[in-house]
Amino acid sequence: MLAKLYMQFLTFGAFTFGGGWSIVAQMKALYVDREKSLTDEELLDITSIGRSLPGTMIGNIAMFYGHRVAGFWGGVACMFGMITVPMIILIIITSFYTAFQHNIWVASAMRGVRTAVAPVILSALMGMIKSAFKFPPCYVIALAMFGLYFFMRVNPIWLVVIGAVLGLIVCEYYERRSLNNASA
Amino acid sequence: MLLLELFWSFVKIGFTSFGGLSMIPLISAEMISHGWMTASEVSDIVAIAEMTPGPLGLNCATFAGMRAAGLAGAFIANMGALAPTFTLCAVAAVFFDHFRDNKYLSRIMTGVRPACVGMVAGVVVDLVIVNYADMAGKINIPSAVLGVVDLILLLKFKMSIPKVLILSALAGIVLFGVIGL
Repeated sequence: MLAKLYMQFLTFGAFTFGGGWSIVAQMKALYVDREKSLTDEELLDITSIGRSLPGTMIGNIAMFYGHRVAGFWGGVACMFGMITVPMIILIIITSFYTAFQHNIWVASAMRGVRTAVAPVILSALMGMIKSAFKFPPCYVIALAMFGLYFFMRVNPIWLVVIGAVLGLIVCEYYERRSLNNASA
Repeated sequence: MLLLELFWSFVKIGFTSFGGLSMIPLISAEMISHGWMTASEVSDIVAIAEMTPGPLGLNCATFAGMRAAGLAGAFIANMGALAPTFTLCAVAAVFFDHFRDNKYLSRIMTGVRPACVGMVAGVVVDLVIVNYADMAGKINIPSAVLGVVDLILLLKFKMSIPKVLILSALAGIVLFGVIGL
């Protein structure tokens, strides 16, 4: 069972490019559509909780699914299966990168690639913006964190913690206000 | 001790990141402050991680770990980045039904999401400053033009990220290698 889970997630892991959505699509194809061992709703639940917990979304999803099927060690098997192929590929690439970093052709290609990195992140940022501003104060949080990160160079770890606390406060405020309005 | 330091760095990154790009500000700050990577290398790893399979955060962990301490470093950094999955997520799996409708989780995310938007915007500005300048710190016109073309391909023509990165690599070989700009 553990070996089967490991091999299934090894295959998923080998075909996940950028973002974690391709693994969800592959899990749907195998478990929901073919094996019918999982429903669409269950997969959606796993995905949405996996996304909202810290860490990599794919790792969390692998852990949830494996845990469901075969307990803690099932989760571990899925997680290790998923990281095996990407880790091997990255180890090979990193070795080449370190060896050829200063080769003129590799350096030129990397200079070209670097021009695309800011646009790539910017385009992904556009996608994040849609779900980021639930209440008006969220805009202030975003601006303040930009300033603290860019001008004050505060460690991002603290900024995430501050964001989490502010999220609790803002939501509490809006909930009380809507309760007051309802009773008034 | 290097391995321990590497592990702890990625544990911190793991616990305060919420998937994909939100990891970049954290990784960039930790890597640069420890001297494990330069700002341009952070750009390179983002590009490499986007072109290869696997989640961005773990690919960055493999790259950074490998550069800092070889194979053992790569493995240790991955385990650090996966620490929340081993711990928090394993606990959440047991109490899955409680977590499904947990209001505090969504409240925390209400604040963390805009914070990530702000930080990631900061990273974009950082990268623009590093990636479109030459050695003397002046703006490099061919790089800037290429960047604008990339942005148009991504946003207007909805081209996939690996394709845009491969095209940029080819353009880089021609512009900086063959022509020698």
